[in-house]
Amino acid sequence: MIDPFMALAGRLQGEIVIPVLYRLGWMQWEDVGLGWSLFAVYGFFQVIVTWAVCMPLEAWRPVERWPNRRVVTTDMIYTLIARVGLLPLVTFVGFYQVQVWVNGFLVDHGWIPPDLELLIPPLLGHPVITFFLYAVILDFADYWRHRLSHIIPAWYSLHALHHAQRQMTFWSDDRNHLLDDLISALWFGFIALLIGISPFQFPLLVLLLRFVESLSHANTRVSFGWLGERLVISPRFHRAHHGVLAAGQRSCNYGAVLPWWDMLFGTADFSRDFVPTGDPDAGEALASGSYFAQQSAGLRSFCEVLTRARAEPADSSRAGIPG
Amino acid sequence: MTLSTRRSFLGAGLAAGMAGFGPGMRIANATPPLSQAPQAVPGSGGIAVVMNSADASISIVDMASHRPMRVVPVLREPHHWTLSPDGSELWVGDAGGNALFALDPTTGTPLGHRLLADPYQLWVSPDGSRLTVNALRLDHVDVYDAGTLKLIRRFHVASMPSHLTYAPDSSMVYSTLQGNDSVVAIDLTQNAIAWHVRVGPVPAGIIWHRDRLLVALMNGDGVAVVDPTDGSVTGHIRTGKGCHIIQVSPDRRLIFVGNRVAGTLDALDGNTLRPLARYTLTGGPDCIAFAPDGKLWISRRWRDSLAVLDPQSGAFEVIPVGRSPHGVFLSPMLKLLADEGRAGLGFASV
Repeated sequence: MIDPFMALAGRLQGEIVIPVLYRLGWMQWEDVGLGWSLFAVYGFFQVIVTWAVCMPLEAWRPVERWPNRRVVTTDMIYTLIARVGLLPLVTFVGFYQVQVWVNGFLVDHGWIPPDLELLIPPLLGHPVITFFLYAVILDFADYWRHRLSHIIPAWYSLHALHHAQRQMTFWSDDRNHLLDDLISALWFGFIALLIGISPFQFPLLVLLLRFVESLSHANTRVSFGWLGERLVISPRFHRAHHGVLAAGQRSCNYGAVLPWWDMLFGTADFSRDFVPTGDPDAGEALASGSYFAQQSAGLRSFCEVLTRARAEPADSSRAGIPG
Repeated sequence: MTLSTRRSFLGAGLAAGMAGFGPGMRIANATPPLSQAPQAVPGSGGIAVVMNSADASISIVDMASHRPMRVVPVLREPHHWTLSPDGSELWVGDAGGNALFALDPTTGTPLGHRLLADPYQLWVSPDGSRLTVNALRLDHVDVYDAGTLKLIRRFHVASMPSHLTYAPDSSMVYSTLQGNDSVVAIDLTQNAIAWHVRVGPVPAGIIWHRDRLLVALMNGDGVAVVDPTDGSVTGHIRTGKGCHIIQVSPDRRLIFVGNRVAGTLDALDGNTLRPLARYTLTGGPDCIAFAPDGKLWISRRWRDSLAVLDPQSGAFEVIPVGRSPHGVFLSPMLKLLADEGRAGLGFASV
């Protein structure tokens, strides 16, 4: 059976990517190019499916109605940049050599990143089970990445961009500061060194998980019921995380796909019901600025927090010097 | 399974250079472009083992019926293969999974796997003593004892080591470095780099052919002829844009060159290195394996399929396999190994 995604990616590769790489003198990346073509095709499909499902839901049972949706348009730009491959591509190119050095250094010192199937041999030949195990582990890692991004002030100054949105929709999932995305990439790069690379031979399952994340941001009164909300994160559950009273360090419901980690570590809150979203402490530029205004404001805020953090210990040490 | 009857063709430009080629060769679509197929190898049937690099799997195909028989799971990203020193195992490198898989080369039955850093391209030396592994993602070339798989020496080379070939006496191994347009020669008797020389834009496939190295230039339009003693480029053979792979027919009479951007496969005369024929083969033609009946089994990276090409008629049949198929092994090649050693497998020509 022909895989329509691969067929389209093959066309993209043969007719656009390869000729461009050849013209630029970058044919050493041609093998990687196919992966990116496939990523872009799946990403485009993902945006279409997410839109086709979430748009009617938001129209059917919206939590809020807004006369002006300009700020939502900015979130669409974030989504397209992230899902169709531009941002991952830039990250890959920018950090290719770093990962070569780090991986090479570790291999030289005897650490070859194992895959789960090497650690648990019966998993070989059961790739769907392996995929779900990876998904659970990575979701656990993402819980702690997300939670730390709220605990560490400098990190939250970047992550506040994600929380500043008062008109949260399914487009808001990828609304992140570039430095925040970079930290995430490093975080998961580190995880990959520990447990190997997750099996990307199941891109549709990857897309399903990303769909859950997008749906959880949707502006819709959708709950999965008592049991369902304890199995998979719903729009209602994640909206509580984006509530105005939950911004910064006072937050709850940090999970991305599975609510189990919040339940396990005492950060789950199932009581809040479709609260207003936003971060009252974030500047207006973060909430409603253009893409570049948001990025710039996030960077400024990050630098200010770092400067303040550097100044404060110095002040305290002076205060501690006896008289 | 679909049968394609697309004719290969000889371009007008190529036609000008055809004078004096084999008897009966005429330049017309209705005429077979190649008067001589690679000499048939005795034997029939067997299996094709296809490494699906984007599918974490290996397809086993029945060579007689051209039907996919089953799929063998691996970890992440299988690319290339080699035969163990005694030919009893087919070793497949899973680069993304950092693992070396062993299969029964006659049945495709999995025999086990072990941890090995980034085995992208790998090949056992003609004398069976060394296994050289190009770690494309990690920028190093590893030389192992092929009997024990114990690492003898790691060579850090910049960058992106891709394909490799040996000198017939196994004294040297040569690796193309895609990332910096060069070839590195490693002296296996001294375990030291002998030379490291730029040969042209983005070198990929490489073979030893009659005291010369032939190097496919992927960001060029053909093959560089390289002196194996010092790496100097002594000639250039124009084939097509995105020249990627070079393999020699078992009888050494023909050399096949795949051109990734042009979507063509060129046949060169093994003696003169002059172009003989050109086949249109879109979809990213890559690794080539030679079947006993003289047909070429070629992976098509962007079409998730194999092309089984009849070099005399130019027609090819398409066999669907997994995503981005790369290395192809045909079990009848074991006979070539037994009869002629590793030089008979298409990656070198004494």
